[in-house]
Amino acid sequence: MRDVYIIGTGIHPWMGFSEQVFADFAAVAVDGALKDADIEWQKIQAIMAGIFIYGGNAGHLSGQYLESIFGETGIPVVNVYNACATGSASIRMAYNSIAAGETDTALAFGADVSPKGFLTAKSDNAVQDRDVIRWKMGGLPNPIYWALECRKRMEKYDTTEEDLALVKVLMSEYGSKNAHARFKKTYSLEEVLNSVYVCDPLRLYEICPVSTGAAAVIVTADKELIAKADNPVKINATTMGSAMYGDPTIRISALSCPSVAEAPMLSESYSASRQAYEKAGIGPEDIDLLELPDNSSWHYLVYLETCGFCGEGEADKMLRDGLTKIGGKLPVNPSGGFSSHGEALSAQALWQVIECSNQLRGRCGERQVEGAKVAMAQTYGLMGNSGTTILSV
Amino acid sequence: MENMANKVARIPNLVDWSTGEVRLMSAKCNSCGTYFFPKEHYQHRPGCSREGVEDVLLPTRGKLASYTIQYYPCPAPFKTEKKITPYGIGLVEFADEKIQITGIITETDLKTLKIGMEMETTLLEMYTNEEKQQVVTWAFKAV
Ligand SMILES: [Zn+2]
Repeated sequence: MRDVYIIGTGIHPWMGFSEQVFADFAAVAVDGALKDADIEWQKIQAIMAGIFIYGGNAGHLSGQYLESIFGETGIPVVNVYNACATGSASIRMAYNSIAAGETDTALAFGADVSPKGFLTAKSDNAVQDRDVIRWKMGGLPNPIYWALECRKRMEKYDTTEEDLALVKVLMSEYGSKNAHARFKKTYSLEEVLNSVYVCDPLRLYEICPVSTGAAAVIVTADKELIAKADNPVKINATTMGSAMYGDPTIRISALSCPSVAEAPMLSESYSASRQAYEKAGIGPEDIDLLELPDNSSWHYLVYLETCGFCGEGEADKMLRDGLTKIGGKLPVNPSGGFSSHGEALSAQALWQVIECSNQLRGRCGERQVEGAKVAMAQTYGLMGNSGTTILSV
Repeated sequence: MENMANKVARIPNLVDWSTGEVRLMSAKCNSCGTYFFPKEHYQHRPGCSREGVEDVLLPTRGKLASYTIQYYPCPAPFKTEKKITPYGIGLVEFADEKIQITGIITETDLKTLKIGMEMETTLLEMYTNEEKQQVVTWAFKAV
């Protein structure tokens, strides 16, 4: 297997529902990546594209739509969907294709256009698609799943409402300094604690909404391109995990879960992260900064434990002690996290990789983690999807 | 419960009240011992032969393993005639079957909810259909 590097990245800043079409904003991310890598479109030998499910043909075949904008060259274009971990799948495929020697330079891409209003069922077949049952019979929007787990956590450990609010305080501080973020307002602990409950114990500012955004990453093993790149970033590992039997977490869209744990919580992410540690030969203790999927404040806490940065029930202390701040032992989400961006499903894993990459390249200005050499991007997607990418300079 | 005959589940094969007791419709794998809900949603233990899956009804009572209070109306296709927000959602544990199941909490003062309390399966009337039947879903209430 060859060493694979990120040489260029591009983002269209995260935004709300937009009348802009795919071509308008997706191309911005790809243009940015090409410019950053200082290469021409014709150098791209494969496109691994994350699809978006609310875009009809343009969404389902986003790689083809993208290729036609920049000029069709006959290269392999693969379209992939792994829910919120879609971007992890696209970069993993690009990495594997290059590491195996099939291609030298590939584009991992993801763009997502959120629907207007709420996410809801996408079919009407309750036998085939369990998701229909949770909407029609269960009254179960996504944050309820997080709230059920959060309540369990608060009962089991000493997680408090202040801990949940403190996550938002930190995320809003960092997000306000990030040009890519959608939400730039900062919040005090009091403001978060005074915000309304969406689903008790989770408040409005403690869960993230859906967004629209695009992200593109150019990866290569081409020695000439690496040599001329501005601070190329090595991909030490990029992995995906699925859920394990006996995982006690109530999975989004499910109506039941096991009551006796035979696997770790969020086992898809446990699996992805352990695969990455093994492949990279890098463990949690070696990581200088972490981007994790803070879909809610609960996720921020539990992910530190799932990925082995502390023991079970110890994340609250890490947070309270300031270890997860920029300047602390393990800066978490210096980007401002999902809390400051919102979810743009097929693009968000790539955006996390780009934040890590920008940190390692020393490009993050006021929110720069000084001296960062190793970074980890951790995703999470509905129904047991997860990806981990470990990067270094 | 009155007028059981005039009720219809919005989606069939999830909840049964034919015996007069409201019970969730599960299935059990006799090879790996796993209970499923909904019953078609198999989640076998890896390596299971998947032989001998049979339909079973869960007990009427379980314990509250977690809960939340939802303050915003659930978007369509969820539908109720009466405004139900804020509503409780419980995760109720059936200990012998080693399964926890979500459901709307009804007929219960939400302020009294506490992990560990005993809950009973019941029906929530959502709306009346064109045939003048009460369309229902399963729900839980404090015992
Ligand atoms: Zn089985």
